[in-house]
Amino acid sequence: MNGLYIHIPFCRRKCRYCSFVSQPCIGPPPAAYLEALLSHIRLYARVDWLKGEGREITSIFIGGGTPSLYDGKSLARLISACRDNFNCRPGLEISMESDPNSLSLDQLARCREAGLNRLSIGIQSFNERLLKIMGRSHNRDQARQAFCVARTAGFENINLDLMYGLPGQSPDNWRQTLNEAAALAPEHLSIYELSVEPGTRFAELSDRRQLTLPAEEEVIEQENLTCSLLEREGFERYEISNFARPERQCRHNLNYWRNGSYLGIGAAAVSCLSGLRLRNVEKTETYIKMVRQGLLPLADGEALSKEASFRESVIMGLRLLQGVSLTDLRLRYVLHPRDYYGPVLHNLIKRGLIAMDGDYMRLSAAALPVANQILAELV
Amino acid sequence: MNNIRNFSIIAHIDHGKSTLADRMIQLCGMVSDREFKNQLLDSMDIERERGITIKSQTICLPYKARDGKQYLLNLVDTPGHVDFSYEVSRALSSCEGALLLVDASQGVEAQTLANLYLAMENDLEIIPVLNKIDLPAADPDTVAFQIEEDLGLDGENIIRCSAKTGEGVDEVLEAIVNHLPPPEGDSKAPLEALIFDASYDAFRGTIISCRIFQGMIKAGDTIIFMSNGASYKVEEVGWFDLKRTPRKSLQAGEIGYIIAGVKTVSDTRPGDTITLKDRPCAAALPGFQEIKQVVFSSLYPISTDEYENLATAIEKLKLNDAALTYQKDSSSALGFGFRCGFLGLLHLEVVQERLEREFDIPLILTVPSVNYHFYLNDDSLLEVDNPAYFPDPTLLKGTEEPFIKASILIPERYMGAVMNLCMERRGENTNYHYPTPGRIEFTCEIPLAEIIYDFYDKLKSITQGYGSFDYELLDYRPSDLVKLDILVNGERVDALAQLVHRSKARERGLHACDKLKEEIPRQMFKIAIQAAIGGNIIARTTISALRKDVTAKCYGGDITRKRKLLEKQKAGKKRMKTVGNVDIPQNAFLAVLKSDQ
Ligand code: SF4
Repeated sequence: MNGLYIHIPFCRRKCRYCSFVSQPCIGPPPAAYLEALLSHIRLYARVDWLKGEGREITSIFIGGGTPSLYDGKSLARLISACRDNFNCRPGLEISMESDPNSLSLDQLARCREAGLNRLSIGIQSFNERLLKIMGRSHNRDQARQAFCVARTAGFENINLDLMYGLPGQSPDNWRQTLNEAAALAPEHLSIYELSVEPGTRFAELSDRRQLTLPAEEEVIEQENLTCSLLEREGFERYEISNFARPERQCRHNLNYWRNGSYLGIGAAAVSCLSGLRLRNVEKTETYIKMVRQGLLPLADGEALSKEASFRESVIMGLRLLQGVSLTDLRLRYVLHPRDYYGPVLHNLIKRGLIAMDGDYMRLSAAALPVANQILAELV
Repeated sequence: MNNIRNFSIIAHIDHGKSTLADRMIQLCGMVSDREFKNQLLDSMDIERERGITIKSQTICLPYKARDGKQYLLNLVDTPGHVDFSYEVSRALSSCEGALLLVDASQGVEAQTLANLYLAMENDLEIIPVLNKIDLPAADPDTVAFQIEEDLGLDGENIIRCSAKTGEGVDEVLEAIVNHLPPPEGDSKAPLEALIFDASYDAFRGTIISCRIFQGMIKAGDTIIFMSNGASYKVEEVGWFDLKRTPRKSLQAGEIGYIIAGVKTVSDTRPGDTITLKDRPCAAALPGFQEIKQVVFSSLYPISTDEYENLATAIEKLKLNDAALTYQKDSSSALGFGFRCGFLGLLHLEVVQERLEREFDIPLILTVPSVNYHFYLNDDSLLEVDNPAYFPDPTLLKGTEEPFIKASILIPERYMGAVMNLCMERRGENTNYHYPTPGRIEFTCEIPLAEIIYDFYDKLKSITQGYGSFDYELLDYRPSDLVKLDILVNGERVDALAQLVHRSKARERGLHACDKLKEEIPRQMFKIAIQAAIGGNIIARTTISALRKDVTAKCYGGDITRKRKLLEKQKAGKKRMKTVGNVDIPQNAFLAVLKSDQ
């Protein structure tokens, strides 16, 4: 599987917890950046790696930032450019991230026409107070409306992003958001615990002790609530923080967790070409300038040894509830985890943290909440 | 001999000794301005970072004075820390004079006083120098008054300078020539040379730093060390310029080096007298003492297969550090390691840092201990510096612990706080006087063990950094000692055991439990930490199990970052020691001795 990722680094304003590469943008986002993306797509289309056997694009993901800040026409051009320049598999998944208050029916209809078939809406919470605290630019009603607009525009595959463990959030408060989300009946839910990242406004507040996060016990309760409630509603947890209805797993993201190859278009996007990882320059101005000059806008790269790649595939794959396929590891690296990790793995299995399940090695239910502890032994 | 001056610089840390030395080197034209790098004399990283010198360094400065004559100024740079006061006294006794360097914005500190007294005991001529007069906070008049009134030094001779800007440094050089006496001695008399330091050179073996008091020495001579009668053939003698410069001979009055096939630095003893085998002197120079280690701790490699590497590293370190002693040790929790003796806690930390930095061996140090005396029922004396060898209490008739005399110099306003601290630390016979209005010199007799337990940190914090401290060993006094054990998940961790005074046991036990709770990261199961005396649990705490991690979004763009975070977590774990099934970080072992900051 090969993914194509396009990064749009603009948002209405910076959310207070956000550490992604995005910059606030008033009014319509710059046309120059869109043009740069189109040039970048044409540049990459000439890269030999893409012409290799089986190198078709199997998913496209337009992420951000907030891609939906662009109007329908621009987004349609972007999607078409991808489809025209790359060898795309028929019926491939094409997703886009969006913010509730930047969606319109006309815009979404144009995108759909161009081939967009999956929409992700950053809702985060249905609680007005929490939305304010987080510095989101929308309210509860706009969130609900956005979902309806998306359905009306014909989207049958919609994801909602939600967050828990928010300042002052009680398990009950979280339950309400979950219920409200489930009532809309989306196909997919991405659910993250808030983590206070350095450099964010939340980090500042937390340093000044002006941020009260729920106690560990409460967060655990929220976590348990998430799993039981969503399971009842017919969602399957297929990755540590992702839930989907049958057949609705996000194929683009699955490819990341299986450590597959992908192309990154746009400022700060990352490509991974058969294990060679390349990061694009972060500054949009630099990005635009380089692409205009016909240069690949690369900032740095990383090529891991075979063993390091193997370990990385293991830790990424373990994020999936199904686990990582032993056959896949053998074909790619000629290594078996049992031989490679020896007593370390043996010990984890003995402690009931890792399970060997036919062709799959996976984290046990007990290990999921403390996944990092186990991944840190295998990295 | 009339054109030689041998001198040393007495200064508190940060008062600008190295900068002044560098300026003098520059003024004497030994380095071009371009080569002039800050603090040439302090060569080891650790020393430079901490602003301390743990070895003496000597440099011989050719100086053309205003009287038109050429002089040879031998600067003997001395260690600047209380752990090394014997070394300081030996270096001082090689000189006729000393510069007393005082920061004009800070005034005289206890450490300076202690070394000044050492210099006076050695009959050195003192030239007071006020440094940092360029600082806005400098108050040279008050400090000059302090020097004159309290230290009884001649105010006439006080020189004011700024080593940083170079102002007044030429006056310092002139004063050395004019106010310090030239050395005396007879080059024809039998050889009397004082060893004041030694360092190790991978190609030449031990380089002995010495002062020739009588006679002369040259290559080919056979010398003997008077403390142990060992004899060696001299290969080379010379002066210390920026590097070593061989000379035909060293004569009475001179300071220089001797290379004589001495394998390790430990084969030499600071303060020892060297003489010629054929024509020995009548008696050794006075003041020689065997070095005494006062703090003991065991060093273990975190990873047991690094034991051989550690052995090699300690051996190498020992080549250049005669004050360090070591012997094999083993612990059920930590495997094989070494029991080491140090001059003090600072010496211990310097050794630890050097082993980790220069040899890249992550280490665990066990809780430092002093040397205790135990009298058994059969009246025999057992000396114990390792809690592992604490005798069966039923066989004990009495215990003794070493006491020191602490002198603490503080602004008057901290008197109450410092007095309290000393009382808390079982201090006795406190005394004080006012060396200057507003400043107190406070003396007190305290068990040495109380000093190695976070005393410096506490003193610094209660005096907001204004307190300075020095100590000398007194004697052994009766005590009531118990062994405090630490249990982690029910398992006794021998490396965390300490010997403590009975009256302090509970407090220390609580403190150790709290510290360990802070230092040991939560693990996937509950960890019980207990402090015990014999079978009695006197303090306990638990570290709750880790029940969740934050597992946030992980997509294409941040796979590398996520992986690196996990790798860091893994590397951190490698620096921990697994005892039973609990990972204990390296810091935990010393942390039980540190106070809350
Ligand atoms: S919308 Fe998303 S990317 Fe933009 S600031 Fe908020 S969290 Fe960050």
